Amino acid sequence: MKRIFIDADKCIGCKNCLVACMQAHKPGTVSVFGLDFIDPALESRNKILLDSRGKCIPLFCRHCDKPGCATACMSGAMVKEPETGYVRYDSDRCAQCFMCVMNCPYGVLKPDRETGTYVVKCDFCADHNSEPSCVKMCPVKAIYVEEV
Amino acid sequence: MTQRYSCAVCPSADKELGAFIADLPMETSFHRVESQEVKCGFGLTGVCCRLCANGPCRITPDSPKGICGANADTLVARNFLRAVSAGSGCYIHVIENTARNLKDTALAKGELKGKKALERLCDMLSISGSDDYDKAVKVADAVLCDIYKPDFEKMELVKKIAYKPRYEVWEKLGILPGGAKSEVFAGTVKTSTNLNSDPVDMLLHCLRLGISTGIYGLALTNLLNDVIQGEPEIRMAPVGLRVIDPDYINIMLTGHQHSMFAHLQERLKAEDVTKKVQTAGAKGFKLIGCTCVGQDFQLRGAHCTGVFDGHAGNNFTSEAVLATGAIDAVVTEFNCTLPGIEPICDELKIKQICIDSIAKKANADLKEFTYETREAVTNEIIDEIIAAYTGRRGAVPMNLLPEHGNDNTLTGLSENTLKEFLGGTWQPLIDLIVSGQIKGLAAVVGCSSLAGSGHDVLTVELTKELIARDILVLTAGCSSGGIENVGLMTPEAAELAGPNLKAICKQLGIPPVLNFGPCLAIGRLEIVAAEIAEAIGIDIPQLPLVISAPQWLEEQALADGAFALALGLPLHLGTPPFVTGSPVAVQVLCEDMKSLTGGYVFINNDAAESAKLFEDIIVGKRRDLNLP
Repeated sequence: MKRIFIDADKCIGCKNCLVACMQAHKPGTVSVFGLDFIDPALESRNKILLDSRGKCIPLFCRHCDKPGCATACMSGAMVKEPETGYVRYDSDRCAQCFMCVMNCPYGVLKPDRETGTYVVKCDFCADHNSEPSCVKMCPVKAIYVEEV
Repeated sequence: MTQRYSCAVCPSADKELGAFIADLPMETSFHRVESQEVKCGFGLTGVCCRLCANGPCRITPDSPKGICGANADTLVARNFLRAVSAGSGCYIHVIENTARNLKDTALAKGELKGKKALERLCDMLSISGSDDYDKAVKVADAVLCDIYKPDFEKMELVKKIAYKPRYEVWEKLGILPGGAKSEVFAGTVKTSTNLNSDPVDMLLHCLRLGISTGIYGLALTNLLNDVIQGEPEIRMAPVGLRVIDPDYINIMLTGHQHSMFAHLQERLKAEDVTKKVQTAGAKGFKLIGCTCVGQDFQLRGAHCTGVFDGHAGNNFTSEAVLATGAIDAVVTEFNCTLPGIEPICDELKIKQICIDSIAKKANADLKEFTYETREAVTNEIIDEIIAAYTGRRGAVPMNLLPEHGNDNTLTGLSENTLKEFLGGTWQPLIDLIVSGQIKGLAAVVGCSSLAGSGHDVLTVELTKELIARDILVLTAGCSSGGIENVGLMTPEAAELAGPNLKAICKQLGIPPVLNFGPCLAIGRLEIVAAEIAEAIGIDIPQLPLVISAPQWLEEQALADGAFALALGLPLHLGTPPFVTGSPVAVQVLCEDMKSLTGGYVFINNDAAESAKLFEDIIVGKRRDLNLP
């Protein structure tokens, strides 16, 4: 099973991981030049916060061993896949209670910005046949993938 | 066996060069591409602002405005205008020095090699004088007087040089430039913190800078250099790393200011210098052309025989040229002088001399060229280079590539030599276009870049696709260097052209790609376009002509691009100029510009797709002209 690991000391806050995520999840194949950065439909599944000392804290879905989101999900929309270890989200099964959002220990889950009817969640870029886009685009290797 | 520096190198359209660089024991730009592969999305799209201490601010859906309130359109237009202003400033520096050199040469009654060029310039600018020196001084003064005007006084030569229908469009749009230096100043001030926030005003300012860049920085720099250094002459010339002969003391030149080398090139031929060189054990001095000033030397090579042997390559070939070990000194006066040459020069004990403080290199000795001190400075330069030759030969390894390039690249094309070649009139070319044997014209100009497709890859592939479609290609800039080194400017390249273009090339013994030389010669291409349009009786945007800077690299290229838009041309770029984060900038540059000047930008980084777009545009323009 693979996980994204974070070396926060390396993060310089360039937000490339956000851009990569927005690009990877925009329908159709688009280059970065096709992104409209003021389009509310463009959503990133990760974010960078600053701690009290101003240090960058990159936050990514950890696909937790004991995922709070899946535990809280009453409809079976949020499920931990045993083979891959990914926590998968199925919007068709989602009852929009957003308990997953409340229960995420990292605060990375969120309802979508435009309609508030589904959860915006990392899918590990599993359909891209390579490592997650955010990891590929990090210029300082502050995030990386490892087998666990 | 020498160890390769690294396996990961950026590809080149020039396979021999690519293999040579891959095997080098030192780092070059080609080796650094991979480590810089990850680009910042905000920078790429132009939505990052660090104009004030509140920044850097980046635009995202959650933060659609900077702290000051500036939106993506303001951010992008500001960044773009800043870049175009800087690019224009570079070219205006070049014309300023060229005009000063012309004036100083004339005042000192020095040699003016291009008497006919001077006559034509005087006719064009309505200047008369008691003799050639008097005329040359007046021409130079007219240029200097214009570029030093304030921004609220229009430059006077624009009307005399620009094609009349274009001038009228510019006048109507209110984009006739004031003094060229002041326009750069205004562009810089407009884009400072919390000043201009109007994206359209800033984009129109780019057009104004485009006109001053095109008329003065490009067109007039060529015409003035023609007076000082002589006019281009059509001839065959060797190109590539083969031009480097280790039996000579070799000086690689980089920059854009041909006139600054006038004194040096003459001194290198002098008897006393030849004796010194022979005492040091070399056969003589050779100037090795690199970047655009090398293209200028090549273009006017007929006036510099014996010292200048050929053009080795473009901007990103310069490191390889030095890595041959046979270069003893680099004399630089402007861009494109890569900082990456410095460690190579250190390692191979190559003397670095800079003759224009504007482009001072960290490891170079500054020997500022001024007309008054030319004798002393040139002699110092020569003595230091001979000393470098004596100290380094035998102490550094040679790694030559004598088979690289070719011996028969057609050079010397200009607005005058091409017309003369056609019999003194554009009619034969117009007839070929009208009949459809030549479908249209494409100007493939500008730089070479490494990121994206690789060194010259899109440029060369696009050129091949265009000629295969019977589109005649004209080049200017580092694109010329890449295209010539892969052989597309030899008569044999006719085989790669479409059937109609191939037949014409074979009949005339010319290649399907015509080399006008340096990026400055984009100004010559504009004159060609204007003269053809005038001969037909149409405006420039109606011509079946597309201009492309497929691998634009620098801010200067953006100023060139602004000129192309002012001329009303469809402008192709391989990668966007950091503007796609602004819906307004994209709309203005790609659509609304059509109703202003007739020009527009289109972006595509695939050679075949781009060529198809060129063809569609050309076919559309032919249809509008009722051509088959």
